[in-house]
Amino acid sequence: MGVLSRMSTIVKSKMNRLLDSAENPNEQLDYAYDEQRKMLQNVKRGIVEMVTAKRRLQLQAEKVKTNIATVDNQARQALAAGREDLARMALQRKQAAMIELDGLDAQITQLEGEQEKLTQSEQRLAQKVEAFKSKKEIIKAQYSAAQAQVRIGSALNGLSEEMGDVQLSVERAEAKTETMRAKAGAIDELADLGVLDDVSGTSSDPLSKELAELTASQNVEDELAALRAGLPPADDKRALPGG
Amino acid sequence: MIVRIPSEGQYNLPGAFIDDLNDVDNKLVEAVELEDEPQFEKLLKEMLDLVRNNGTLLPVDELVESDLVLPEPDITLIEAEEMFVGEGLLPD
Repeated sequence: MGVLSRMSTIVKSKMNRLLDSAENPNEQLDYAYDEQRKMLQNVKRGIVEMVTAKRRLQLQAEKVKTNIATVDNQARQALAAGREDLARMALQRKQAAMIELDGLDAQITQLEGEQEKLTQSEQRLAQKVEAFKSKKEIIKAQYSAAQAQVRIGSALNGLSEEMGDVQLSVERAEAKTETMRAKAGAIDELADLGVLDDVSGTSSDPLSKELAELTASQNVEDELAALRAGLPPADDKRALPGG
Repeated sequence: MIVRIPSEGQYNLPGAFIDDLNDVDNKLVEAVELEDEPQFEKLLKEMLDLVRNNGTLLPVDELVESDLVLPEPDITLIEAEEMFVGEGLLPD
């Protein structure tokens, strides 16, 4: 069996149950219309989920960016203090964080693509549903039950297929989001367990501690220097000592 | 002949292209069986473009059933493999 025939069967079989579930054509029409409206809600929910997942990744990316700035600063201070070993370790953390950031950015872009696709699907389905609604009323008004049965067959099949297509898109988008969420969750969990170094330097590992101490002592030195120069310890750097 | 590209819409494709489409379809099945990813991606694009370039997009308010449904444009080789075994892409 070719890819084409297999794919055709998959999409078409999705909504075929719809046709069997109602007794008479009028009922079938109304039922189909209700189902379509539900499907539209489904797609809308899918889009909201996509936006939420994207927001979460964006927040995570923000956090990583802050961490990059922090370790970068630590590396400078370590080097200034003549601790090249510490500076090297800080830069290694920076590299790891930058790889993580790249990954997050790629996922955000992918989610944006999914969101765009789903939005288009939603608009297309909404138009189809409207077209079906008017067709349904015309059929109800103009034809006997037996005639209607014939008339709606094609329209209903076409619509069922459209819904099968949209359903497929939603499921695929959700599966992709779920994979990303699981991955992001796993990273958070590993960081919590201390398996991954917390690049923010808030964990209690020796390097972070040493870097933090270095930063603190550097700050003390800075303030001392500022005091010596007769300056207030605040960052009011315009008030240079007068000669 | 009405052909659907999932997530894009339906095209009216002149019947003369059915042989070309079948030909690409057979090669695509072969690529899936051989797990030849570059070939799979190339053929999938060829198949989609055949319909996009030679067919005309149906108006959105038209409600008709397709004669054929193409694979999703972003389908992966792994997903295509799954299509041939088990319950396919759309488990109930």
